[in-house]
Amino acid sequence: MKKKLLQSYKLIKIGDWFTIILFCLLIIISTKLLWNMPQGEYLEIYKNNELLATYSLNQKITKEIKGKKGKTKIVIDNGRVRFSSSPCPKKYCIHQGWITKANQTIICIPNEISISIIGAKKGYDTINY
Amino acid sequence: MTLSTIKITDRDHQIAKLSAIAVALSLVEFFFPSPIPGVKPGIANIIILYTIFKFDMQMGVWVSLIRVFVTSIILGSFLSPTFFLSLSGAIFSLLSLMVFKNLKREYFSIISLSLIASLAHIFGQFIIVRIWIIPHNGIFYLLPIFIVSAFIFGLVTALITIKLLQLNPKK
Repeated sequence: MKKKLLQSYKLIKIGDWFTIILFCLLIIISTKLLWNMPQGEYLEIYKNNELLATYSLNQKITKEIKGKKGKTKIVIDNGRVRFSSSPCPKKYCIHQGWITKANQTIICIPNEISISIIGAKKGYDTINY
Repeated sequence: MTLSTIKITDRDHQIAKLSAIAVALSLVEFFFPSPIPGVKPGIANIIILYTIFKFDMQMGVWVSLIRVFVTSIILGSFLSPTFFLSLSGAIFSLLSLMVFKNLKREYFSIISLSLIASLAHIFGQFIIVRIWIIPHNGIFYLLPIFIVSAFIFGLVTALITIKLLQLNPKK
């Protein structure tokens, strides 16, 4: 068994190692280039698609916003945000948990409230494209 | 009336047999659930690599394109976006194999070629997706996942192909 493993090891030639290393480098570079989401700076709160307010993320406060169905509580905690209570039936917005990075959003459709984090400069996403 | 006769050569039979196996493998793959949506191992590529190295490039092109067309007709996705995705992936990997197949065999084995082809496959698909299906830069966010899967499945495909070629050495 061990001999067989060694034999399959020999199948990989010098040039293949070169290709494999190049491929790994490509994986690392592409991950670094494409997945470096900037940290968020500001929080935008939308009600029925209209910008209601913008807050800095560098604070620790809880905001209450009146939506279509009732009051939604949004907690800002030094760089991260979440919905802490909402009158919607399924609570998807609360289960999404904390968001921290630029362009991340939480949407509560029943209560018509959405929040999104924006960075120092706007990146691409499906909403602001 | 002139009678046109088509001469069916051994080569045609060979292509038909290999294409049939490739189509069967594609269908098997289609019915297996994939852990990550969109990521597929591409087991039919084993047959295509095998064809290219056991026979020649031209035959590999035939088998690959027949596989794409027949599979899409069987699954009912002919001329749909799925079909064009798999066609562009196939064309790009075949082109990359044509370019790189003359690499020195002493230093580069099938593993290198398989990796290059799988990478070309991903880029071919991404070009189509970016231009036509989802014209948005956001899709590049998914690129690392697909490159990693191309690496893994390219390697596995190559190792299986080498094993197959060892079992059926060139006459």
